[in-house]
Amino acid sequence: MMHALMAFNGSLFVERMVNGLAEGSIFALLALSLVVVFRATGQLNFAQGEIGLFGAFLVSTLTLSGLPVWLSILIAMVAGFVLAAVLERVVIRPIEHRNPGAVVVAAIGLFLGLNQMHSLIWGPDARSLPSLFPSGPTDFFRLFGAAVYWQRFGIFLTLLVMLALLWVLFNRTKVGLAMRAVANNAESAGLAGIRVGWVLMIGWGLAAAISVLAAALLAPQGGLSAALMFGPFLSASAAATLGGLDSPVGAVVGGLTLGVLKAVIIGYVGFLGGDMVFTVSLVIILVVLLFRPGGLFGSERVERV
Amino acid sequence: MAGLGTPRLVEHGSVQHRVGQLLLFGLFAAIFLWQGLTAERPGLGLLTDAIILAIAVTGLNLITGFTGQISIGHSAFFGLGAYTTAILIDRGWTPGWTFPVAAVVAFVIGCIVGLPALRLKGIYLALVTLGLAVAFPAMLNYKHLAGLTNGALGIKNLTYLPPEWTPFDGRRDLHKWMFWLAVVIFLIVSVVASNLLRSRIGRAMIAVRDNETAAAVMGVDRAQVKTVVFGLSAAMTGVAGSLFAVKLTLVEPAIAQFTLLGAISILVAMVIGGTAATWGPLVGALAYTYINDWAKTQGEENDIAGLGGVIFAVVLILIARFAPFGVVGLLRKLRAKFVRVVPKLPAVQPVEPVATGDHT
Repeated sequence: MMHALMAFNGSLFVERMVNGLAEGSIFALLALSLVVVFRATGQLNFAQGEIGLFGAFLVSTLTLSGLPVWLSILIAMVAGFVLAAVLERVVIRPIEHRNPGAVVVAAIGLFLGLNQMHSLIWGPDARSLPSLFPSGPTDFFRLFGAAVYWQRFGIFLTLLVMLALLWVLFNRTKVGLAMRAVANNAESAGLAGIRVGWVLMIGWGLAAAISVLAAALLAPQGGLSAALMFGPFLSASAAATLGGLDSPVGAVVGGLTLGVLKAVIIGYVGFLGGDMVFTVSLVIILVVLLFRPGGLFGSERVERV
Repeated sequence: MAGLGTPRLVEHGSVQHRVGQLLLFGLFAAIFLWQGLTAERPGLGLLTDAIILAIAVTGLNLITGFTGQISIGHSAFFGLGAYTTAILIDRGWTPGWTFPVAAVVAFVIGCIVGLPALRLKGIYLALVTLGLAVAFPAMLNYKHLAGLTNGALGIKNLTYLPPEWTPFDGRRDLHKWMFWLAVVIFLIVSVVASNLLRSRIGRAMIAVRDNETAAAVMGVDRAQVKTVVFGLSAAMTGVAGSLFAVKLTLVEPAIAQFTLLGAISILVAMVIGGTAATWGPLVGALAYTYINDWAKTQGEENDIAGLGGVIFAVVLILIARFAPFGVVGLLRKLRAKFVRVVPKLPAVQPVEPVATGDHT
């Protein structure tokens, strides 16, 4: 017992937790954007990660032209909003009510197209992106003896700020009310005078802005390349599944859980190793879904015959 | 339209209908025969790839087309079949005998995966199967399974030489042998699939797709139907994987067909062909393979990174926009302008007074 306690390195544990939370925050942001689209339209946007990547490339262009990082990210978020709103209107809307399979194919088309578009516009070489937070080797504070780097901790703080903003948007504004109404029942919302089409576009746009933020936070560590968002998107969709696809709270809990789980598996479960992280997460999610088919916080829809 | 006139009505199952079906079948048969006898290596290889994809799509079509559930994880079954064949050939088996084993292995795993699928609906199942597609290559690389899979190195030298009794001349005719083997397996799988649909379980599947709750109320055993369908679907896709392994002559975890990209191509090929249509898998797989090849060639000829991918993506979006029910759906719509197939009307029976007490 004593021996086991001695072997346990407390500050290393804290460092791993913070790293896990930072990565989990990226997952949570992306999962949130998936949930925002799903609630509005019942669709899973496979291109969500790639829209974020588009924004991150835009951030790199803007910062290279001399703008500060935070301003570049804001501009890219707005651009991502517009891009996604247009894509929703032009690509998805016309087929929405015709065949769900066709919507999936169109979304996969968007995913492939946007992914390749980056190398068409910005060239195939990887780029680096400056961090929004101080990222020098001495930019850390101590917590229980562990070095907590601002670059990691800042990502977690950004998630909290984003959550607060979203809460205000959904619960304290007219747009948010309309979005909740459409998520609840699009037809009734339309009859009540809400312009459902606009709400769907705003939903896609909002989700895109969040993904751009996630990609811009991730790129300084991951390196900006076409493959940047594959892994995070998969983890985010797993996180959204775990939390419940229609629950923003679930997305955040699911994202943070997966991030911490990944850190714990890589750090402490040696025989599994990095390759098996996703497989282990999948098994856990499957077990959760067996008992709660709608995810941890999701609602199960009752179907009438 | 003036010259067009009203569409001609053809009764389902009538001589005219049968002749029409035979002509369509004959058209495909003639194209394949012509290609199989005359085409040379690269061209025939691409067509073989398309048919292998069509077999995999036929498997997925069982689930999606006829139970309404989407799987984005069929690359795992494809890879499972390929690896079963590879591991057995590596241990000295005759390649042909590994195919049924691969089908059985994929069937069993498919049933196991199908079990949780009983509880999950729509997008949740899609996401779980997507996870399966991601987890599969990772498991191939997993160090404690390396004794079986040989890790990242994979398994090589999986050539399937034509057996003595075939008219093919050993290694020189290898590409033709692969093509005809693929055609025969595709025919078998298609016949099994279409017979399955007309069987009791097929009708149960369609009932589950159209309204799951209603089907359950009508007495359909959803658990049994879904599990068996998942298993059969996996088995078909697994055999496609076996073919893929011997055609490529090697397997390794990095091969795109075993990853999420493979699952996506199976899914996309199915949708652009047309789900729940008999000709859907073949038409979709052909369309997918040749459009993809054409887009890639465009990108390479112009030497612009990313151009091929963007062209392919635009074509996908256009197909989704203008043929939401796939190429077969589009062709049906066109056909409906000229010929309309109507269901056979039941012969009118004279009404007899009901004899009471005679019911059984």
